[in-house]
Amino acid sequence: MGNFFILSSSIVISLFFVISKAESESESELLADLFALQSHSKSGVIHLDDRSVARFLTSPKTPRPYSLLVFFDAVQLRDKPDLRLRELSQEFAVIASSFIANHNSTNPKLFFCDIEFRESQTSFSLFDVVSLPSIYLVGRSAKSLKDDSERMEQADFTRFTESVVDFIESRTKLTVGPLHRPPLISRTQMGIIFGILLIWSPLAAKKVLSGETWVHNPRVWLSGAIFIYFFSVSGTMHTVIRRMPMFLMDREDPNRLIFFYRGTGVQLGLEGFAAGFLYTIVGLLLAFVTHVLVNVKDPKAQRVAMLVSVLVSFWAVRQVIFLDNWKTGYAIHGFWPSSWN
Amino acid sequence: MATMPILPPMPVLDLVKSFKLKTKQQELLIRVSILCLVYILAFITRLFSVLRYESMIHEFDPYFNYRTTLYLTQNGFYDFWNWFDYESWYPLGRIVGGTLYPGLMVTAALIYRILHFLRFAVHIREVCVLTAPFFASNTTLVAYFFGKEIWDTGAGLVAAILIAVCPGYISRSVAGSYDNEGVAIFALLFTFYLFVKAVNTGSLAWSLASAFGYFYMVSAWGGYVFIINLIPLYVLVLLITGRYSMRLYVAYNCMYVLGMLLAMQIRFVGFQHVQSGEHMAAMGVFFLLQVFYFLDWVKHMLSDTKLFQAFLRITVTCAVAVGAIALGLGMLSGYISPWTGRFYSLLDPTYAKDHIPIIASVSEHQPTAWSSFMFDFHILLFLFPAGLYFCFKRLSDATIFIVMYGLTSMYFAGVMVRLILVATPAVCLISAIAVSATVKNLTVLLRSKNKGVQTGSTKGSSSSKAASKALLDQSQPFQKNGAIALLFGAFYLLSKYATHCTWVTSEAYSSPSIVLAARGAHGSRVIFDDYREAYFWLRQNTPPDAKVMSWWDYGYQITAMGNRTVIVDNNTWNNTHIATVGRAMSSYEDEAIEIMRSLDVDYVLVVFGGVTGYSSDDINKFLWMVRIGGGVFPVIKEPDYLVNGEYRVDKGAAPKMLNCLMYKLCYYRFGEMLTEYGKPPGYDRARGVEIGNKDIKLEHLEEAFTTSNWIVRIYKVKPPNNRW
Repeated sequence: MGNFFILSSSIVISLFFVISKAESESESELLADLFALQSHSKSGVIHLDDRSVARFLTSPKTPRPYSLLVFFDAVQLRDKPDLRLRELSQEFAVIASSFIANHNSTNPKLFFCDIEFRESQTSFSLFDVVSLPSIYLVGRSAKSLKDDSERMEQADFTRFTESVVDFIESRTKLTVGPLHRPPLISRTQMGIIFGILLIWSPLAAKKVLSGETWVHNPRVWLSGAIFIYFFSVSGTMHTVIRRMPMFLMDREDPNRLIFFYRGTGVQLGLEGFAAGFLYTIVGLLLAFVTHVLVNVKDPKAQRVAMLVSVLVSFWAVRQVIFLDNWKTGYAIHGFWPSSWN
Repeated sequence: MATMPILPPMPVLDLVKSFKLKTKQQELLIRVSILCLVYILAFITRLFSVLRYESMIHEFDPYFNYRTTLYLTQNGFYDFWNWFDYESWYPLGRIVGGTLYPGLMVTAALIYRILHFLRFAVHIREVCVLTAPFFASNTTLVAYFFGKEIWDTGAGLVAAILIAVCPGYISRSVAGSYDNEGVAIFALLFTFYLFVKAVNTGSLAWSLASAFGYFYMVSAWGGYVFIINLIPLYVLVLLITGRYSMRLYVAYNCMYVLGMLLAMQIRFVGFQHVQSGEHMAAMGVFFLLQVFYFLDWVKHMLSDTKLFQAFLRITVTCAVAVGAIALGLGMLSGYISPWTGRFYSLLDPTYAKDHIPIIASVSEHQPTAWSSFMFDFHILLFLFPAGLYFCFKRLSDATIFIVMYGLTSMYFAGVMVRLILVATPAVCLISAIAVSATVKNLTVLLRSKNKGVQTGSTKGSSSSKAASKALLDQSQPFQKNGAIALLFGAFYLLSKYATHCTWVTSEAYSSPSIVLAARGAHGSRVIFDDYREAYFWLRQNTPPDAKVMSWWDYGYQITAMGNRTVIVDNNTWNNTHIATVGRAMSSYEDEAIEIMRSLDVDYVLVVFGGVTGYSSDDINKFLWMVRIGGGVFPVIKEPDYLVNGEYRVDKGAAPKMLNCLMYKLCYYRFGEMLTEYGKPPGYDRARGVEIGNKDIKLEHLEEAFTTSNWIVRIYKVKPPNNRW
């Protein structure tokens, strides 16, 4: 991605030196340049800076023969996880390339662009962009970039891809068509993997038949099994599917972190791991006491270990019950009389 | 007069002695009586819903099942099989016989026939209500035998007890929840049990039985796909861990071939076993087993190891290549259909969220948070890892199976809340192993200690084991007390489990959701029976051929209880039709009337919770109607109904929202009504706001009936005005 940006911006710059800086260019020239820029970019997203904004947006007379969909980006903010800029710009590129591919012959004159904050601060102020992520559609007849261009609702960024498609379709009356995502593994890679598998399979089969690999080791399977259990009961799938963060920042006090979320059916990542850990440790202690501890020779060590594991289990169960009651509001039955709580 | 011969007085002691059982018989007696008690317990704990409310069918889908069962008992099997239902999906209709899993209906009808043959004149509804508890009881028996097969009788008994009351299973099998899952879990566990038995014995009879169990499962529930993928996976794991045996070969081949042929007899499944991508794993493993068998035979024939190695290499390469090419050709030619979205969303859970919003939107398809596991499993959750460890310590073909079943289903339970149901039997069995093995160890310790003390005192002088004996003797008093304490602890925990389960069943899982209950101001129970009131009104007061339009959630209930034709129902097979209804509901009245006339709608039914504070009503579902409508008809746009991305019904609501058909029908004359003391008229208690449009005039519809608590409102479509 980074390479691609450097590449496209260098293309932009070089193109500027080549193209004459005539004040008023004809519409067809501008259009031709835009198509050239689009075809030079790998995903079809044109990288704009202050000069090109001036050239394509502010100086030509309205109505322009084209409209631009502009994605506002900031390299220094890409590391902030709650902004999701990196992910959004990738999705934007997917939409752009799909749109171009779907309208190969018809040529609808809608161009996908992005602007980076550090190199184009003037443009940011022209659009009056104060928060990221932002997407603006500059229509053909938009005179003032601040007032006439249409902004995508902030709430729509949660379901980004669908929202952008809806946004384009509702404002420009164009259809985006099916999205073409690049496949995870390309066809040649598939072929190579298949070839390797084919060569490797007889060797593997031989080893498996003779019975000397890790697949014959029950310990490997056991740890895998415990891991799957832990993975499931800690609600990791919930975190993955809902894209829940590991923890939240407290809005009022930024130094405080929130690890536990109150309410049934919703959880944070670390909260789940904590609960899953508590679940797992009790079971493992039971297994330890019944299968490992009995082989210990020293009775004193046995007793101490026994006591410790009972105490740890009690603590873990107590924590789980407490957390569950707090979280769901249901009074789950504890393992001791309720007057002890 | 003949005198009675006087019997010599029989010694009482002898009499008692003759009744005294041997230890083995005693054990059997105890075991059988425990099982009987568990059988009864599993049944009666599911009757909370009947006690709290009454004997009735719950929720939505069960009403369809009930209606089809009624049809089956009245018209016979062949009519049922060829039934074209013109009362739903008007004007399209629905081919019922070919689009359902008939197992549940046939089972209930069979029970009904048997009862009538025995001269018990019960109504079919009672049979339907009690089918799920009855099968839950049967499941406990299966769990006992399964536990016995994989561990020992003790584990079997504990498993039966645990599964009898486990909330994860009760949630889907209370009396009245007459749904496929009720019998399917029994069928699932039964099939697994028979298959494990077949693998353990290598007997054709057991694998034949498991094929029939599989057939029953296929006829009952779409979840059979889990079986047809888990069993091949299990076989594959056995193969790669070097546990291939003739028993496995017999069990799998017989089960697969026969099960497949039998499953094809279910019309809804048809040729999927040979055509759909979801079933290809089973076929692949089937061929792999043949390769293994062939290799085994060649190895037996060839004495030279080197030759065999070379042969092995060639064979495996060829087999893999041929398999891959066949699969690729099948996929490319379209003969093998690709995986369905539902299946795909299980393997790659983020798939549904991105690609199939209709699956992602259903509440029971949400991913599971950790607290739900706690709620449904309680102590089993803690025992499960211990049970896993026990299984690994005593690996056999059977324990490998239960471990794999437990882990795969646990994973799926994490992906979707409703699949906790599938994981429940495995969790119960594995936890039962942990409980049973621990308790057994403790009691053995207790008993041997007594003996140990005796032997220690009598043979204390023997020289060889003196040291160890001394050690044992030293630790005995402490160990004994410890064991007793631990035993009490274990029973205490189990009793807490029972308390929790009973409480969960009575509080959370016994609500029929068609009759609503709430706590009144003085803590008394208030019952809202508005749904049935409305459906019976429809039945009594509308012409028999009237068509009722409502959102699809209520379709099954209207056809089953109101006996009227509906436009859409819960079998969401035609998205366009549902979207048409969604469009009508979200349009202005004069646009909606065109759509309703084109669908011949006579009545419109809406569900409204503003008076009672019932939150799952049509206003809260409305955005889904807009979304689904907008998905097919782009004139409907979601942002038109929102204000700054917010969904509101008060004064600040979007103008389109305030004037759409759904809003008008729900809030018609609501502005005149006082719902809560100290609030203005027209105060919506479900959303806690005063409504924005209090002056609603209807032009093409008129209010026909509103139930006593306003939960259901029915409107009549007026005939067109006279033409001039």
